[in-house]
Amino acid sequence: MISNISIALMNGIVWGLIMALIALGLNLIFGLLHVINMAHGALYMLGAVAAWYLIELTGSFWIALIIAPLFVGIVGIMIERGLIRTIEDKPIITIICTFGIMLVIQELVLMIFGGAPRRIDSPITQRFPIFELQYPAMRIMIAFISIILMSGLWIFLKKTKYGLWMRAVVQDREMAVGLGIPVTKVYMWTFAVGSALAAFSGVLAAPIVSVEFMMGREVLIMAFIIVIVGGMGNLAGSVVAAVLISLIQGVGSIFVSPSMAMVFSLAILIIVLLVRPQGLFGE
Amino acid sequence: MSSWKEKPFGFTLIFGLVILGLVILPFFTELYYQTFLTELFVWILFAISFDLIFGYTGLLSFGQALFFGIGGYTITILTRKYGLGTEPGLLLCILIPMVFAWFVGYFSVKLTGIHFVIITIIFAIIANIIGDTWTSLTGGKDGLTFSPRPFRLGFFQINLMDIKGNYYFVLAVVALCYLILRRIVQSPLGKIFVSIRENEERARLIGYHVQRYKLIAFIIAGGLSGLAGGLYSLTLKYAGAGYLHWSVSGHAVVYTIVGGMGTLIGPVVGTGIILSLEHYLVNFLQATDLVVGIVLVVMVLLAPKGIVGLIQSRRKKGKASA
Repeated sequence: MISNISIALMNGIVWGLIMALIALGLNLIFGLLHVINMAHGALYMLGAVAAWYLIELTGSFWIALIIAPLFVGIVGIMIERGLIRTIEDKPIITIICTFGIMLVIQELVLMIFGGAPRRIDSPITQRFPIFELQYPAMRIMIAFISIILMSGLWIFLKKTKYGLWMRAVVQDREMAVGLGIPVTKVYMWTFAVGSALAAFSGVLAAPIVSVEFMMGREVLIMAFIIVIVGGMGNLAGSVVAAVLISLIQGVGSIFVSPSMAMVFSLAILIIVLLVRPQGLFGE
Repeated sequence: MSSWKEKPFGFTLIFGLVILGLVILPFFTELYYQTFLTELFVWILFAISFDLIFGYTGLLSFGQALFFGIGGYTITILTRKYGLGTEPGLLLCILIPMVFAWFVGYFSVKLTGIHFVIITIIFAIIANIIGDTWTSLTGGKDGLTFSPRPFRLGFFQINLMDIKGNYYFVLAVVALCYLILRRIVQSPLGKIFVSIRENEERARLIGYHVQRYKLIAFIIAGGLSGLAGGLYSLTLKYAGAGYLHWSVSGHAVVYTIVGGMGTLIGPVVGTGIILSLEHYLVNFLQATDLVVGIVLVVMVLLAPKGIVGLIQSRRKKGKASA
């Protein structure tokens, strides 16, 4: 029992950190554009699929981990520049537009990649013992990479010019324009970074789950939940919420069925939405 | 926008002609097309009921699949388990989803904007999970099949197992619902819905209880979505948890946007175009949703008022230059 729970705790933390990455991307875009990007789950899936091809091509998971998010980041730029830019001030219309983009990405992948799920082998196969069970070292590596990425994002937001601009635009858009910040450029880069984060999340999840064209659909909802519970626009809140929720779900799944654990967390989410729409960690 | 209303005779004429055309059509077409058209009518009902809350009241609900799915389960389970006839069954297909819509709406209308969108998605996901796991009631992932009983009204009887009978039945119900919805949106109640969409703050200041009217719109739309689900199950002789998935609501969103939101004729046109397109594309393309997605994105960007909006603005321009 103790080993079961400790495995569930470890899995909860690892999965929580992966979910934190995609939620951060979603939240970053929300904070700036005040829009829920319905295509975000599809970008996560696109990251995993791109990684699968890159691994076929180069044989290296680590190359895929770098190139796939770059590729998806460029896709993000294309979406923002080509499609969303003209309707950014209409949140509801943007939700519908990104829903359409989600369909397009999913169906394109279905056409090219096919409908069957495929596996990505984990590049690290060592295991180490926890009590009487074995735990794959790759998952620890995944958690470690996620933390590095989040630290990188934090440094980017706090220490670079673009990060400063982004924070300025989130705080007061009019003022930022007045101070000469190139707001449209900031939008573009935010979308690129947000998309790349979704792709990182997808690549890191790929060795744990299987890669298929619908894998982003459920994850999108998970990311919604995390962003709302953590507070929209509150990045640190998202990280805490991601780990917390996936810990609760992971440990809860030992005692009740996973679907009941999901219903339970959705019910909590409805209560949060109604009682504290600004999120648990907001002011 | 009110060009129909200025010429009520024009509407009656066109509506009558379209219905007449659809009534005589089965004498000239194969059964295959009758099934296609029957499904088209069902989706039209789903789309116009969605348009009442989105196009008229301004609430983007991705939760309509919940009511659609429950409507399907209602008629299926009642017929299969309790041997209930089609007439009370269909009535319950409206009433039971209305109760659910009242419950979901009671909480949802407290929220606005993106939060509203998300809470309706969440409710639909919960329903989908329950539908998937409560196997003894819903048949789980396999769903349920059944044989609908004939519809009786006095001496009048329609055999719903017959494709042509089913076609006429669905056509009649959907046409009736269209007229009812038309009556609603032209009534003072419909004007209040539009005033909420246009400016919620102002509607509140005038003295309307905005949340109550939103709830009314939500309940009406939920009942009609449920009826659409019930008719769909009557057509397919099947109900399943798949129809509860929130992405099914996306169908209504696509049809309404492409056709033109905030008009009843818009979703009808949109459903017709998109379903015909899919029907045609499926012959040589596995991923028909690809084209649907592209059409949706293009319409949202270039003509957010849809095809009907495009025609209307062209007409206005023509009038101005003449």
